[in-house]
Amino acid sequence: MASQQQQDTLLRAAADWWVRLREPDDSGDTIEQWLAWTAEDERHLQAFEHVSALAERFGQLDRVSRQALISTFSRPAAPPRRWLPLAAAASIAAVVLSGALYVGWTRFGNATQVLQSAVAQNRNFTLPDGTKVALGGASTLTVQYSRDRRSVELNGGEAFFDVVHDAQRPFVVKAGEVSVHDIGTAFDVRRTGERVMVAVTQGRVAIADLRAGANQNNMLEATAGQRVSFDPDATAMAIDTIAPAQATAWRSDRLEFIDEPLSVVIANLNRYTNKPVHILDADLNALTYTGTVRADAIDSWVSALPEVFPLQVSKEADRVTLSDAKYRH
Amino acid sequence: MSTVTLSVHVSDIEKLFREHNLALIAFLQCRLNSLSDAQEVAQEAYLRMLTMDNREEVDSLRGYLFKIAGNLAIDRLRKRKVRSDFAVVQSHDEPVDEQSPDHHAVAVEQVAGLRQALRELPAKASQAFVMHVIEGRDFNSVAQTMKLSERMVRYHVAHALAHCRAYVDEKEMP
Repeated sequence: MASQQQQDTLLRAAADWWVRLREPDDSGDTIEQWLAWTAEDERHLQAFEHVSALAERFGQLDRVSRQALISTFSRPAAPPRRWLPLAAAASIAAVVLSGALYVGWTRFGNATQVLQSAVAQNRNFTLPDGTKVALGGASTLTVQYSRDRRSVELNGGEAFFDVVHDAQRPFVVKAGEVSVHDIGTAFDVRRTGERVMVAVTQGRVAIADLRAGANQNNMLEATAGQRVSFDPDATAMAIDTIAPAQATAWRSDRLEFIDEPLSVVIANLNRYTNKPVHILDADLNALTYTGTVRADAIDSWVSALPEVFPLQVSKEADRVTLSDAKYRH
Repeated sequence: MSTVTLSVHVSDIEKLFREHNLALIAFLQCRLNSLSDAQEVAQEAYLRMLTMDNREEVDSLRGYLFKIAGNLAIDRLRKRKVRSDFAVVQSHDEPVDEQSPDHHAVAVEQVAGLRQALRELPAKASQAFVMHVIEGRDFNSVAQTMKLSERMVRYHVAHALAHCRAYVDEKEMP
């Protein structure tokens, strides 16, 4: 039996060869050198097969697990994937103008419109100026357009805006204590109680913390690929990165979370399920989750939670309860 | 005359197979990240060797076998990429059985161990590894995103792979 150190050295050598052999080798020299190495000792090829099998295990994980690992480890700015334009084109094609809600809309009047979606329903709207809005499940948006200002308030839930920029008529989204000002943009706003998350997928926005009144010093600018989180308990807004595809994954019924409190994750999942999930023990709220949940598989995601968190799940006909495993309710 | 050539030829290939089949499959598994694809492509490579007609121009049969196999692997990766791009666009249509609770629980458990192994690594190593092995990006593209040299990316990926292998071995062999 080889010592641990010998074993580590061997694995490392095998991994080095694995990396060297991964890409086309036009001259064939690398392959010849590698074959010579495998001929030196039969354990060499075995170690090589062994690391290769592990790489295969990673490569063949299911899509949900892959996405979870990507969100956790390769986050900063994955460049836009090639399929994005296609997906975007498809969703734009799917935008339908919801006629009933626009009855009586006057272009420059001060009419207020309320856009709503049911639980588990995503809806697309086009506003009179051409701005497109995708509304997530169980979300409410109040729209008020006037001659010199386009104001939208997200009363709850999530919405993605693809804004037709007009410097003369600013587009402002208010969500609780936060306001988001368009500077030629597409962005996502999610409001969970008083917590607000803004993810910019294109262009720039200015985001204001309204708690200190109209003080403009509390503004910060975010650009494509950035995410700003507002937590009423924190003194300042936090900024980090997010891939555009992640920010709008919910539009394809995949809810993505990056390092978010379980309470926020559950509140957002509840917008997509008719069997709401309740957190019984407050200490569970502090757990953080990173990963993807399919909107049509929330139930199985919840069932799998005890695998990763110290909690227990109890299911009743119309609701699901999560409790701390150590209390044994 | 041609019969004689053919029989010599076949015995050469048989010898290649005996001596190098394990290495050929290991090489292809590395390129394709799939043992079953590696076995298929190896079969196809031998078939190509048997039907090649310019044997006199080849100075190393073994070199030639690996070259053919390498090219077949590149073709297969290309086809797979087209399929997976399509699959991503179509992802909401994927089969329902992937979401069964059992499958989900197994996936969660499986990924938890791998995630823990990655957590123990320096951030750059886990990032480079996930980008290459899970996102399927080549070293050049990872290097550009991470603003590192390709050499450093290879170093990080190899380090991560060896570490994860050792971590999983320790967990799975009590």
